[in-house]
Amino acid sequence: MPIGSPSPALSGSSLPHPRGPTSGSGWLKWSFVGPTLLVLIAFNAYPLVYTVIHAFTDADITGGAWSWVGFDNFAQVFSNRTFAAKYGAAMRTTGLFVVLAVGIQLTLGFILALALKKPFRGKTALLTLLLVPMMLSPAVMGLFWNLIFEGSYGPLNQVLALFGLDHNQQPVWRTDHRFLCLLIVDVWMWTPFMMLVSLAGLNAIPGSLYEAAEIDRASSWRVFTRITLPLCAPLLGLAVLLRATDALKQFDLVMAITGPNQADTRTVSALLYQIIFGNGKVGLGSAYACVVLVVVIAMATLFTRYLDWMQARQGRAG
Amino acid sequence: MPFSLLSRIPFAAACRRLALACCLAWTASAVTAAESITIWWAQWAPAEGLQELSQEFTAETGIAVQVHQIPWANFQDQVFLDFGNKQTSFDIVVGDSQWIGRGASKGLYMDLSDWLPKAVNLDTILPQALTYLCEYPTGSKKYYAAPCETDAVGFAYRKDWFADPAERAAFTAKFGRDLEVPTTWSEFRDIAAFFHRPADNRYGCALLTGRGYDSLVMGYQNFLWAFGGSWGNGTTYAVAGHINSPGAVTALTTMKGLLAYGPNGAGNFDYGNCLESFTNGSTAMAMDYFAFFPGISKAMGEQAGFFVVPGHQGKRMASLGGQGFSISTKTVPAKQAAAKQFIAWFSSEAVQKKWITKDAGFTAHAGILASPAFREATPYNAAFADSVSIMQDFWNVPVYNELLAAATQYLGEALDGSLEPQAALNALAEAHENILTEAGLLK
Amino acid sequence: MNWLRTTVLVLYTVIACAPLVWLGLTSLKPPADATSLTLKAIPLPGAEPDSVHTFAPTFAAYASLGTPPVSGVQSGFWQHCLTSVIIGLVSTAAAVALGTCTAYGFSRFRIAGAKDWLFFILSTRFLPPLAVVTPILIMYRHVDMQNSHIGLMLLYTVFNLSLAVWLMKGFIDDIPKAFEEAALIDGYSRVHAFFHIIIPQARTGMAVTAVFCLIAAWNEYGFALSLNPYEAKTVPVYFAGLQGNINGIPWPQVAAGALVFVAPIMVFTVLVRRHLLRGVTFGTIKQ
Repeated sequence: MPIGSPSPALSGSSLPHPRGPTSGSGWLKWSFVGPTLLVLIAFNAYPLVYTVIHAFTDADITGGAWSWVGFDNFAQVFSNRTFAAKYGAAMRTTGLFVVLAVGIQLTLGFILALALKKPFRGKTALLTLLLVPMMLSPAVMGLFWNLIFEGSYGPLNQVLALFGLDHNQQPVWRTDHRFLCLLIVDVWMWTPFMMLVSLAGLNAIPGSLYEAAEIDRASSWRVFTRITLPLCAPLLGLAVLLRATDALKQFDLVMAITGPNQADTRTVSALLYQIIFGNGKVGLGSAYACVVLVVVIAMATLFTRYLDWMQARQGRAG
Repeated sequence: MPFSLLSRIPFAAACRRLALACCLAWTASAVTAAESITIWWAQWAPAEGLQELSQEFTAETGIAVQVHQIPWANFQDQVFLDFGNKQTSFDIVVGDSQWIGRGASKGLYMDLSDWLPKAVNLDTILPQALTYLCEYPTGSKKYYAAPCETDAVGFAYRKDWFADPAERAAFTAKFGRDLEVPTTWSEFRDIAAFFHRPADNRYGCALLTGRGYDSLVMGYQNFLWAFGGSWGNGTTYAVAGHINSPGAVTALTTMKGLLAYGPNGAGNFDYGNCLESFTNGSTAMAMDYFAFFPGISKAMGEQAGFFVVPGHQGKRMASLGGQGFSISTKTVPAKQAAAKQFIAWFSSEAVQKKWITKDAGFTAHAGILASPAFREATPYNAAFADSVSIMQDFWNVPVYNELLAAATQYLGEALDGSLEPQAALNALAEAHENILTEAGLLK
Repeated sequence: MNWLRTTVLVLYTVIACAPLVWLGLTSLKPPADATSLTLKAIPLPGAEPDSVHTFAPTFAAYASLGTPPVSGVQSGFWQHCLTSVIIGLVSTAAAVALGTCTAYGFSRFRIAGAKDWLFFILSTRFLPPLAVVTPILIMYRHVDMQNSHIGLMLLYTVFNLSLAVWLMKGFIDDIPKAFEEAALIDGYSRVHAFFHIIIPQARTGMAVTAVFCLIAAWNEYGFALSLNPYEAKTVPVYFAGLQGNINGIPWPQVAAGALVFVAPIMVFTVLVRRHLLRGVTFGTIKQ
C-alpha cells in the first residue's frame, strides 16, 4: 500500500541531475526534446504575442476590421468607473475564493488525514472512494449541484426540512448565497486532494521521532505543533500552491452554478468570458488577459522558486 | 489517369473537358447549396411552430428548412460567436430585437432596405413591429430584418381562483371592491397579497427577475414606464434623470415589494421559472411573454386566464418581445436567395393566417391582429392584441449587451437588498453614461 | 480518540458521497419525482407517485439518453460521448508519445537550461484557458478548424504535454540506468535502448500518464466551450447547454448522462489508485 509506506516526502528526482552520457550526441538529445519544446513555444508564444498586440486594438469577436486605440483598453481595466467590468472586483472575488477555498480544504483535508493515518481494514477502498470527487468534471458536477441547491425540490433544503426548518427558513441558496454555493462545491471536490497530500506528509514523518517524543513524555499538543506540523509544512505548502494556481483559473463551476453575469461570483476567468464572448470585445479582453498573465507569471515564478527551495532543502537533509 | 493515356488526348480538348466538368460540378453544388437553409432560433414553442410551418414551404419549393433551437440563455453568445467564423453555420438568424444594432453596424445582417418593401407590403405590418424588429437606426427606414414573431409581456392568472365565490367574498370583505383582473399595480399588489399563502404552497405572483440575459430588464420595464421613468433620451442618449428619476425609484421599489408575494427564489426567476411556477399550480399570477401562453393554455385549460400588464395613473406600457428574420452576410449567395424566398413566402397574408394557428405563432400583420376573429380565436389573443399597441423596447444600439448587463447587475442588487433602489439607479445611470460615452453615442 | 476518528471519518464519508448517491438515485427516478417537493430517497418498485419518501425506480432515463432534450437538434448524448472519447483518446496518445520522448531526453541527457525548460513546461499549465483562447480561436478560424474534432485534439495534446512530460520524467527517472548502460556497452544505439528497454519498463508509467491526460481532456470545459460550441461538442459543453431549457432541465437524463460520463473516470481512478498522489500533483510529489 503506497500511502502507508514511509519514504521521503519528495524524492527529489523530479529535477535533472547532471548524469548520463553527454558524448556529443547533440542532435540526438535535441531530437528527443525539440519537437515538444517547439510545439509548446508555438502554442504559447503566439497567443502571448497576439494578446499583447490586440490589447491595443478594438477587435471584435465577430471578426471584421479593427483599429488601434492606444492605451484606452488598459485605462478601462484600471479605471475607477462605476460599472463592474472592474478588474479589481474580479481579482478580489477570485482572491477571496482562493483563500477561503484552499484554507477550508487544507484544514478539512489535514483533519481527515490525521483520522486516516492509522491503518485499518478497508482503508484503501475507503481512500479511493473518498478521492473520486476530485477526479470528476467540474462543469458536469456543477450542473448537477444546481439540483441539490434548488429551493423547493433540492435535497439539501429537503434534508433541512427534516431537521425542522420550514419553508420560509430554508435558505435560497442560488439567489442569496451564491458565493457560498461555489465554495461548497469546490471544497467538496478538492478536500480529497489536500487529504491525499497531508497523508503523504504525515506518513513521511519517521516513526522514531514519535517514539522519542513519547519517551520524553511530550504532550499530544507539543507533538503536534513541534513535530507533525513543521515536518508536514513544506509538502502542504506545495499542495497549497498547486491548489491556489488551480483555483485562480476557476471557471467551470462559476459558469455552471451562477453564470458569468453575477458580480459576486465573477472570478477573473468568468470576467474574461463575459467580456470576450458576451460583449464580443476582443481588444478589451486581451488587455484584461495581459494583466492576468502578469499575475500568472508571478505565481508560476513563486511556485518554481518554492519547488527549488524544497529540492535544496531535501538535498541538504540528505 | 495513367500518364501514357493522358498524353494521347489533345491538350486543348482535355482542358475543355475539365472546364466543363468544373462548371457542372459548380452548378450542381450551387443547386445543392440552395436546396436547404438553416435557421437559428431560441428554444421555445414558436420555433417548433416555425419548423412545422416550414414543411409546407418545403412541399411547395423543394427547399428544406431546418430550424435549430438554442436555449435563450446561450442563444445570443452562440450566434455572435458563430458570426466570427468565415462562414456562418446558419443562413437566417431569428435574432432578438435588441441585436439589430450590433448586427447591422458590424455588417453581419444583410441590408434588406431595398428588398423588403418589394417583398412585403409594409403597410400591413404593425408600426411598432416594423420599428423595433426591423429598422435600424430608428427612423432611418433602413431595414435589416423582416418580422417573424411579435411578442409582448403579459400575465397569466388563475381564472378559477378569481371566479371562486368564497375567494371573491373574502376579497371584497378585505379590500372593499370586487376581485377583478387588475389594471393598476396597486390593485395587482392587493390581489397578490391576498393570494399569498405559503403555508398552503400558494403564492401571489411571479415576476420576471432572472439574471442571465434579459429577463430582469424585461420584467422591470413594465414598472419603469408605468411610473414615468425611461431608459434615456433616444436622440441625445442622455440617461441621467431618466434612469434614476423619482418615478423610476418608485417603480423599482414597487417591483421589489412584490417579490415578497412570490415563491421561494422569486428574486431570480427567468422565463422558464415563471412558467413553471404557474403551471405547477402554486402561483396566482405569473408574468411572462405571450409566446409562452399557448403552452399554458394547453396545459391548464379553463384554469388559466390572461391579462395585459397593469399600469399606473393611466400610463401603461409593456415590454416588447419578438424577433425578426435576419439573413447572414457570411453565407453563400444561393442560400441568401433561398432565404429571401422563404421570408417572402412567410410574410404573405395566407401564410400569416396559418402562422397564428401554430403554437405561439404571433403575427405582425396589423389587419389580422385587429380582426375580431383573431381576438376570439384563443383565450390569450385578445390580451395580446391589446398589448401590441402599448409595446416598447430596450436600447437596440450595438452596445446594448453591455447596457443590458449593467442594468441586470444593478437592478439585481437592488432586488437582493444589497443596494437601496435610489443608490442602485444612480449607479446604473452612471454606468450607462460611461458605456454610451465610450461607444461614442453620448457626447 | 478512536471514536472521534471514526466519527469524523463516517461523517465526512456520508457527506462526501451523498451527492454521488443522489446522482444515482435521480437517474432512476421518473421525471415527476425528480422535482418532487418531498425528499424521495428510497427506491421501491411499485411505489405510488404521491408517496412521501419513496419512488418507483425506472431505467427510462438511461434508455432515452440518446434523444436530444431540445428539438431541432441533430445530435444526442451518445454522439457527444463519442466526440469526447475520440478527442480524448487521440490527444492522449499524442501527448503521451511526445511526452515520453521529451521526458527521456531530459532524464538521460544533459540539456542546457534543462531546469528552466522544465519550469517553462510546468508554467504552461498555470495559464487560465480563457486568457489564451482568443488567439487560438482566431488562428483556428483562419483554417476553419473551429467546431472540428481535430482542432480540439491538437489543443488538448498541447495542453496535456506539460502533464505528460513531468509525469513521465518521474517514471523514467525511476528506471535504473544500468539497463541502458549495459545495452550501450553492447553496442546498441540510444534510440534502440529507448524503444526496447525504456519503453517496456515505463509501460506502467505511460499507462498512468495516459489515464491522467485522458481525465484532463475528458473533463475540460473552457477551451471546448469557446472553440466547439456548435459542432463536435464534447459532453461537458453539451451538459452546460442544457441550462435554460424552457421545459426545465431533464434531471433524470442529466443524472443518467452524468453517471455514464463519470463512470469511466471512477474506473480509471481505481485503476491508478497507487499513483494518484503523483498524478494530481503533477509529478512533483512522489511516494
